[in-house]
Amino acid sequence: MIMEKEMALNKTVLSVRGLTKKFGNLEVLRGVDLDIRDGEQIAIIGPSGCGKSTFLRCINCMEDPSGGSIIFDGVDIADMSVNINKHREHIGMVFQQFNLFNNKTVKENIMLAPVYVGVRDLRAKKRKNFFIRLANLFKKEKKALLPLETTEAEIKAKAEENAMSLLRRIGLEEKANVYPSTLSGGQKQRIAIVRALAMNPEVILFDEPTSALDPEMVGEVLDLMKQLAKEGMTMVIVTHEMGFAREVADRVLFMDEGKIKEEGSPAELFGNPKDARLKDFLSKVL
Amino acid sequence: MNSFSEMWQEFVKQFITRKGYENVLKGLGITVEIAVLGLLIGILIGTLIAVVRVMPKYKTLPRVLDKICGGYVELFRGTPMVVQLLIGYWVLLPALDIQVNSGVPVAIIMFGLNSGAYVSEIMRGGINSVDPGQMEAGRAVGLPYSTSMLKIVVPQAVKNILPTLGNEFIVLIKETSIVSFIAVTDLYKSFKQLGDPTYDYTVPYLMLALTYLIMVLLISAGVRALEKKLKKSER
Repeated sequence: MIMEKEMALNKTVLSVRGLTKKFGNLEVLRGVDLDIRDGEQIAIIGPSGCGKSTFLRCINCMEDPSGGSIIFDGVDIADMSVNINKHREHIGMVFQQFNLFNNKTVKENIMLAPVYVGVRDLRAKKRKNFFIRLANLFKKEKKALLPLETTEAEIKAKAEENAMSLLRRIGLEEKANVYPSTLSGGQKQRIAIVRALAMNPEVILFDEPTSALDPEMVGEVLDLMKQLAKEGMTMVIVTHEMGFAREVADRVLFMDEGKIKEEGSPAELFGNPKDARLKDFLSKVL
Repeated sequence: MNSFSEMWQEFVKQFITRKGYENVLKGLGITVEIAVLGLLIGILIGTLIAVVRVMPKYKTLPRVLDKICGGYVELFRGTPMVVQLLIGYWVLLPALDIQVNSGVPVAIIMFGLNSGAYVSEIMRGGINSVDPGQMEAGRAVGLPYSTSMLKIVVPQAVKNILPTLGNEFIVLIKETSIVSFIAVTDLYKSFKQLGDPTYDYTVPYLMLALTYLIMVLLISAGVRALEKKLKKSER
């Protein structure tokens, strides 16, 4: 079991080098490096205003980095000329404010992106086939058409099936056809998490997922995240829940003044902090 | 000066016995047609312009489009509707060498273009009122800007601005009364014709006002009902 996990840890999913971010003259990130390895859970802690949320939002370019590189799938996605949408499909994100689509039912919220991507790829293939056919009219050697393995109806049916099984997993299948405004914060956040899961992401970024929740709902969201962690989902979590970070994370990063000041296993970082600022921070929050 | 009852009798004679109501119904139809189709075109143009104007402007193309749309809005809000109508009919049609049998299509298009300018400002407000997190969530799952806009933000914006759009429709219905400038027989013209035989317009114009008022009240009630229904649909 441990062997397996260590093997898995060898593969780097995403690697950040020298990331900087400026808002006008304000330098929020001053050179952050991070390798996110497959199956790893990373917790990012730090005082407010230290840049941890900005860093997380830079990882999938929700904020465009001012400098540095982010290598994902062998491409530097910090480069503005890259089609970021294609890569975001594989990087899930969960927000502090849930951000479920208010004009869509719960089920539609989960289905929207998978259906969009499936249909888009199918249409692209159909378009290509059209041109192949057109070219074939003038050629002796006919080029083979791209195989279409699916139809739009099938894509939708599959996405719906998947959405329902995800909802069943979090025990909210009876909420499939209601709008988000009727749900509690905890339910919304759990749905936001499975919405991210529906795309089979390689990594999920959590931006303070429990900070906007009533205290009694924090548990249900953290439980779901623990389950994902156990299943080996790669996760990067910005959090104020120190207990959760200690329990779930493989690695904890302490950020301050736009830099990673200290990083290590939860035992090291919480048990034997070296950085003065971290010691001070921990004395206040623990 | 005739007494009001005499005037009323004359109106009834024109309206019913001489079948003036047929004309009035036709005029009513044309008024509604111009206002409804004009508003639809307006919403289409307005939404497009609003989306262009709220787009992030890192690149040159959105910046140029934004300037063009800004100019469009200033142009149509800065000149009277009558003037736009007259220019459409007497300047653009001959210039483009288009022959028409009636001014109705011209009126529809000009009202659509004009209302597009106003709707774009309404829609821009609506789009800005939608929580930015909605767009972020759309982008975060990999949807492009345009898809997030059209599938997530705009539907919510439309809901937010529905009462204001209802207002725009009311403005439009009333403003169509100027289409007689380009020889279209709308509601106003058809009522005016009822008074033409006697040159006494007292009752026809009062009835005209009443008809507009009833239409506007009906639209207001319709918008309110629709609003309620939309609110319910997300509960």
